Amino acid sequence: MSEIPLIRLSDVTKVYHLESGDVTALDHVSVDIGENEFVAIMGPSGSGKSTLMNQLGILDVPTSGDLFINGRNVASMTILERTHMRRDVIGYIFQKFYLIPLLSAYENVEYPLILKYKQRDTSGKAADVLKSVGFDRALGAHRPSQLSGGEQQRVAIARALVNDPKILLCDEPTGNLDRKTGFQIMDILVGLHREGKTVILVTHDPKIAEYAQRTIQLEDGRIVAS
Amino acid sequence: MRDIFFDLSVRSVKLNFLRSLLASIGIVIGVVAISSMGMLGTNMQLLVKDQLTAGINTIVITPDVVRAEPGSSSSSPSGITESQLKEIRDAAGANDVIPIDRTSTRFSIGSSDGRGSIYGLDPGDVKMIMNVSEGSTIRGEGDAIVGAQIASRFNLKIGTRIKIGEPNVSITRPVVRVVGILPTVGMSSSTGINTDNAIIVSDTWYTAQYGGGNVYDQVNVNLKDVSTLSEVEGAIDRKVNRNKDVVRISDASSRITSVSSTLSSLTTFILAIGSISLLVAATSIFNVMMMSVSERVQEIGILLSIGTEKGEVRRMFLYEAFILGFIGAALGGIASLVIGYSVVSAMIGSTAYFFLPESLIYVPAGMVIGMAVCIASGVYPAWSASNLDPIDALRSE
Repeated sequence: MSEIPLIRLSDVTKVYHLESGDVTALDHVSVDIGENEFVAIMGPSGSGKSTLMNQLGILDVPTSGDLFINGRNVASMTILERTHMRRDVIGYIFQKFYLIPLLSAYENVEYPLILKYKQRDTSGKAADVLKSVGFDRALGAHRPSQLSGGEQQRVAIARALVNDPKILLCDEPTGNLDRKTGFQIMDILVGLHREGKTVILVTHDPKIAEYAQRTIQLEDGRIVAS
Repeated sequence: MRDIFFDLSVRSVKLNFLRSLLASIGIVIGVVAISSMGMLGTNMQLLVKDQLTAGINTIVITPDVVRAEPGSSSSSPSGITESQLKEIRDAAGANDVIPIDRTSTRFSIGSSDGRGSIYGLDPGDVKMIMNVSEGSTIRGEGDAIVGAQIASRFNLKIGTRIKIGEPNVSITRPVVRVVGILPTVGMSSSTGINTDNAIIVSDTWYTAQYGGGNVYDQVNVNLKDVSTLSEVEGAIDRKVNRNKDVVRISDASSRITSVSSTLSSLTTFILAIGSISLLVAATSIFNVMMMSVSERVQEIGILLSIGTEKGEVRRMFLYEAFILGFIGAALGGIASLVIGYSVVSAMIGSTAYFFLPESLIYVPAGMVIGMAVCIASGVYPAWSASNLDPIDALRSE
């Protein structure tokens, strides 16, 4: 029996039961993603990219089929175990940054450490990670609303990295940024991949997808090219 | 080092300061209502208890209400007869025995008419059991001392004349002259004599006007040693009620129990009324908390998606409810002292008991109840926040 890769989707189907009828967002999807891969997921609107990302981020569970992440079947995990896996194994980078508005940039990065260790960061790790994504330390005290889009995305990347996750899920991370800043963010992601992270990236932009080693093409909930 | 969820709650409260403050004012009102009403009731109980305890050495003997003679269609109020009085004196030993006549009467002072009780006592006994606050005690037959309430209502001075009896142009009414004014006794009397709305005259004058010289309406026994209370009561009971109950024997302790029980029920009732305002406050807090949840849906989605446990989200909203409750309870506690003092002063005219622990305990009690109500109001909003679907929550704007 072959060893399970970092991520394995085996015949995964996701059906949403709506008033207007059932909608199949993922239709018998099977794919493996190994450690230290850089994968781009592309496809038109409604092709199932977001649904797939929600599955990979364990924000949702498949209607049928098996999803293994880091060797564990998501369906057999408790809600708390899934929460801890989101905290420890997965780093999520969103198109809209999704920083916590009531916390400063530094506190946003520190937050996952507090979730994990149940105490404030005294090791300086949050500050180091923030620095590693090129974020000016003096800006750390600013609230997200006081930062530019590029700065917010750097904070979001730092937050995703601070617990040293194996997987980075990036949902159109350059979608809300100008082209130049977008490429700067991509350079950071490429650097993280080089350091050993598994990067999974959803994008509409073929230029951004070129950064990836492999592209998964989705259409109508099915993988049409991988 | 402070909990980050507490920090988030503090910042949320600060961000919506006015709304949070208004919600807390509901709790302030609730805490003030409960504390003030509780303190009012307790002060009332303490005052009455003290007034009753002041007469703890007095045994009050009254006729056993109205006795209907077997075979007779009429009933007549029974007085305490001379022979029964003698038996009481025998049983009471060296203690003072004070026979008292009393009735209710109309009276006139100048052109004003009034109604009150009139007591007839031996002037020597009056001197023994009543201390006037103004003037002197009864000396002659036409002298009278009056209660504080009558004196105040009719603006009576020493020397004022009072016509006793029903106003009737054809009959000349007897007149008494005010020689003394008694202090306020309060809502309860420890001696079975409620003098606030009464006129006290000499027994000879009373008998001359109302007759019944050999029958008394009440007999008080003033004990020299309060520890002999049960013993003397027993002796009187055995002597006077030997065949059947002809007199009722009571003392302050039985009256304290009865009055305390009544006042305790009254306190509970007014506390229940005060609690209604706390229910209104709870609704307000619930509303504010639900608004806080609905305004922060996306933030909750972020928290849940990056690995925050449901319990931690719940805790964050419960902290917010706690902060609102704490602000409300703290302000309410301070306001309770001021308002409670004013209410007690205005309603019962004395703040002598206000700072006693039994009274002040209602302030922390009100604060704790206020905070508990506030936190309870936050339970459902906190629960609903923690159970949001992170995907739906992230999509909301």
